[in-house]
Formats: sequence, structure tokens, C-alpha cells
Amino acid sequence: MRERNRLDWAFICLVAAFQLLPILAVALNAFATDWAGTVLPEGYTLDHVRSITSDPRFLQSIYNSLLVSVGSLILTPLIVVPAVLIAHCYFPILDRWMAILVILPFAVPGIVLALGLLRIYSGNYGIVLTGTPWVLIFGYMPVAAPLYYVPIKNNLRTLRLTELFEAGRLLGASDFAIFTKIVVPCIKQGLIIGLVMNFTLAVSDFVYANLLVGGHFPTLQIFMGVLNGGSGRKLSVLITTYFVVIFASTAIVVWAASRRDDK
Amino acid sequence: MIPVAKGTRLLAWLFTAPFLLVVLFFEVIPLLAVATNSLFSADLLSLANYSEILTSAFYLGSFKVSYLISAATALVGLVAALPICVVLRRMPGRIQQLITICANIGANFTGFPLAFAFVILLGISGSFTLLFARLGILDGFNIYGTTGLVIVYSYFQILFAILLLLPGLGAITPDIEEAAFLMGASRWSFWRRIGLPILAPSLISAYLLLFANAMGTYATAWALVGGSANVVTIRIGELTAGDVFSDPNLADALAILLVVSLIVPILADQFLIKPRQNTDA
Repeated sequence: MRERNRLDWAFICLVAAFQLLPILAVALNAFATDWAGTVLPEGYTLDHVRSITSDPRFLQSIYNSLLVSVGSLILTPLIVVPAVLIAHCYFPILDRWMAILVILPFAVPGIVLALGLLRIYSGNYGIVLTGTPWVLIFGYMPVAAPLYYVPIKNNLRTLRLTELFEAGRLLGASDFAIFTKIVVPCIKQGLIIGLVMNFTLAVSDFVYANLLVGGHFPTLQIFMGVLNGGSGRKLSVLITTYFVVIFASTAIVVWAASRRDDK
Repeated sequence: MIPVAKGTRLLAWLFTAPFLLVVLFFEVIPLLAVATNSLFSADLLSLANYSEILTSAFYLGSFKVSYLISAATALVGLVAALPICVVLRRMPGRIQQLITICANIGANFTGFPLAFAFVILLGISGSFTLLFARLGILDGFNIYGTTGLVIVYSYFQILFAILLLLPGLGAITPDIEEAAFLMGASRWSFWRRIGLPILAPSLISAYLLLFANAMGTYATAWALVGGSANVVTIRIGELTAGDVFSDPNLADALAILLVVSLIVPILADQFLIKPRQNTDA
């Protein structure tokens, strides 16, 4: 059994290495003096980092991306989570419809949804949202909904809600109090997974940003597209920054979550 | 379901209303707009856009390339992810959670970051290209084409497949495995006769979602190959935002054909195959 255990670990490490390889390559390239015609870079420098941090577009794109992600992280759970909870507890019919909505973003590619948003919100019907962060924040919402729905639903299934509500009501608690004091703490884990995935989605998106805001509101990914034609070194620094942001924020959330879940 | 008083019921609907409105205004209505626009050509109601696509070798070719890439990378994703998930299931819960989160980051690792990373590794003067050339294998490899797309898509497809398969593997409990081994089953015959048949429904669902994921990929194809990649999403993007080929109504028709080709198998799976499973679970 020990032998097999060691093999398991070796296998998982190999998989992890495979996943990390492209990320490492970009990071190396960000600090390489010259990397052409050789397998590994010839030397390392901070010049590229300096040259890009002095570019105003760099900070602007990070600022814009964070604005959209934070906006999305505040508004999306506020709108989606109550609906998930209420549908699960009170309205089975709505719950069945939600299950369909959850598959929709899988079946309907991002570019198609973005196309639809472009048709509606670029002024054809008197509303112009394109070019503003709002179209991204609200546009991501239906796509992010399943990211909350699935893990929260998994948490909810393990709760005996009927008994919980009976007991709570017997003790004179309002339904609102039962939700906020009992149900929400029980779904915390699912909520945290949802938040992590929502953040990754908002920072990583290029399709919506490219079609709906483009140069009016350049996000990290848009700026990557701009740099793609030019110096690869600058792009590497930008991509490495993107990874640092994602890993750091994920690590913080996972750390916070695992502190409560010490089983 | 929990019984609700009338007042609470009203309040509950009020709390769900924002979500329903968002879905209506940012999902349903935009999709309806795409569908409606696809039926107009030169301001006249007609099926001209569809007949143009269905008779054009160029657009049909883009569907074919997309189908091939998606079918191949969905298979790569499943085949690679299944053993990974089987091993992961034997790991402590913490490690599983960690890998799930990493896989989620990886599955979102698309577009420019991913394409550029692979260019560094496998581009014309990429590390691995040089390494392989020195070893005398893979001479004249070119990542800026369909092969490149298959390799690069496979990266996020494998990670996405891990996310999709891991929860379903709970169906294969240790006691099933033990029972089989007690009766003398070999590892291979266990998987062939018991493991895979149990997992078949979730494998099918995962395959369809992976297929749809690859079909809908736009950013990665755009970043790696640009406009010359003949995949459906690139054609849609070009007809929407392109300077030369702009034809929004044709783009909408392409989009609707894409959605229909994805939604039919997924819905069939969800509503015909899945419910039957749930009744005996």
C-alpha cells in the first residue's frame, strides 16, 4: 500500500508540473535578458518589469480589471445567492428553472452572449452600456450564477431545512433571521468557492471585454492583446502579474476557508 | 419545500426579482436579439443568412474544423483527467480541494496568457521546439495552426475535465472496489466491467460540456492564430468587429447555428438521460 501511495504522489506531482510549466515559462521570460535560440534564458534582469511599470497603461489596466472584478464580487452574490436560497427553500418550480439557467452558459458560448449584449446595449434601443464597466459587471452575472449555484446547492442538500425552519419558527425567529443566522453560515464554504471562481472569471475574461468595452475601458486582458504584437518581454511581465494577482487572491480565500474547515 | 406565509412569500419573490431581471435583461433578451437579427438580411425578413452559411464551403469548413478540434480535445481531456481523478480520490480531502482550486484557475487560463505561454514553449524559437529539434524529433513543427490549437486547448480541457469528473467519481466507493477484488477481479476487469459502466453517464455529460467548451473558445484561438484560424467563433468575431467583413446579421446566424448544435445534445443529456439516473439513486 505504501508503494502505491508513493506512486500516487509522484503521479499528482507530475500533473502539477504539467500545469505549472507554461506559467513558469512566462515568468522566466519576464526576467530573461535574452532568450532566443536557447532552451533556457541566458541571464536575468528586472529591466522589463521597470519598463512596463513606467507605462501608464499598465496601472490603468490593472485598476480597470480590479474595478470590474470587485464590482462583480459585490453585486453578483448579493443578487444571485438570495435567489438560490429562496428557490431552494420556498419555490421548487423556480428551482427547476434555475437548474436550466445553470446549464445555459455552458451551452451558449461567451461570444454569442457578448454578441447579444452588443445588439441590445450599444444604443439600438436607447440604452448605451457598451464602453462602461457596467456592461461587464452585469454581463458576467448570468455566467457567474452557476459558479455560486452548484457549490451552494451541494451545501444546501446536506441541511435538513424543513426541520431547521420548524424549529426556528417555533422559537419565534423570523424566516429572515433563520436565513441570515443559520442557513448562510452553513453555506459559507460553497459561497467562498463561488467567490473565488467569480473573481477568476472576471479577471480572465477577454471575449466580453474585447467586444463590449475594448479600448474605452482597457482591462488587463485587453492590454495583453495590445502588447501581443510588440515586445514579448513586456507581455510576459503583464501575464506574470496577472498570475500573481490570481494566486494571491485565491490563496487568501483558501486560507480563510480552511481555517474554519479543520476536519 | 417549506410552507410559507403569504407575507413572506411576497417578500421572497421580491428578493428573487433582481436575479430574474438580470437573467432576463442580460441573458434571455440578448439571445432573443441575436436570434431575431439572424432572420434579417438587408432589412428584410428572410432565411438568406442561413442559406448563405449552409451553402458556403468557407463557413461549413469553419464548423468542420471547430468540430474536429473540439471532439479531439474533449477526448484528450476525458482520457487524461479520468486517471488523475481516480488517483486524486485516494488523496486527503485537503489535496483534492487544492487541486480543484488550481484546476479552476487553469481552466480559466485561456486567451493571451495561455497562447503566449505555449508560444514560448513551442513557438518557432520556443524552448521545447529547440530541445526537440536538437534531439532530432518534431522538425519543422508549427504551433500557429490547427495542431497548435489542439495542443493549447488540451491544456485547459484536461483541467476543466478534472473539475467535471471529480465529483462524479464519488459513485465508485471503496466497498464496490473491495467487493470486486474479493471476487477475483483484476484492476483492468474492474474498470472495464464495473467502474466505467457506473461512470458512463457522467462521462457522457462531461464530454458534451468539454465539447461545448472547446466549440465556444474564442480568445485562445484569436490570441494564438488570429483571423486566419478557420474556427466558428473567429468567423463570428470577424463578422462582428472586423473592418473588412463586417456583417452583423450573418454573425448572428452563425452564432445561432453554433448554439443550436451545442444545446441540442446537452439538453437531451440533461433531460433524457440524467432524470432516469436520479430515480434509482
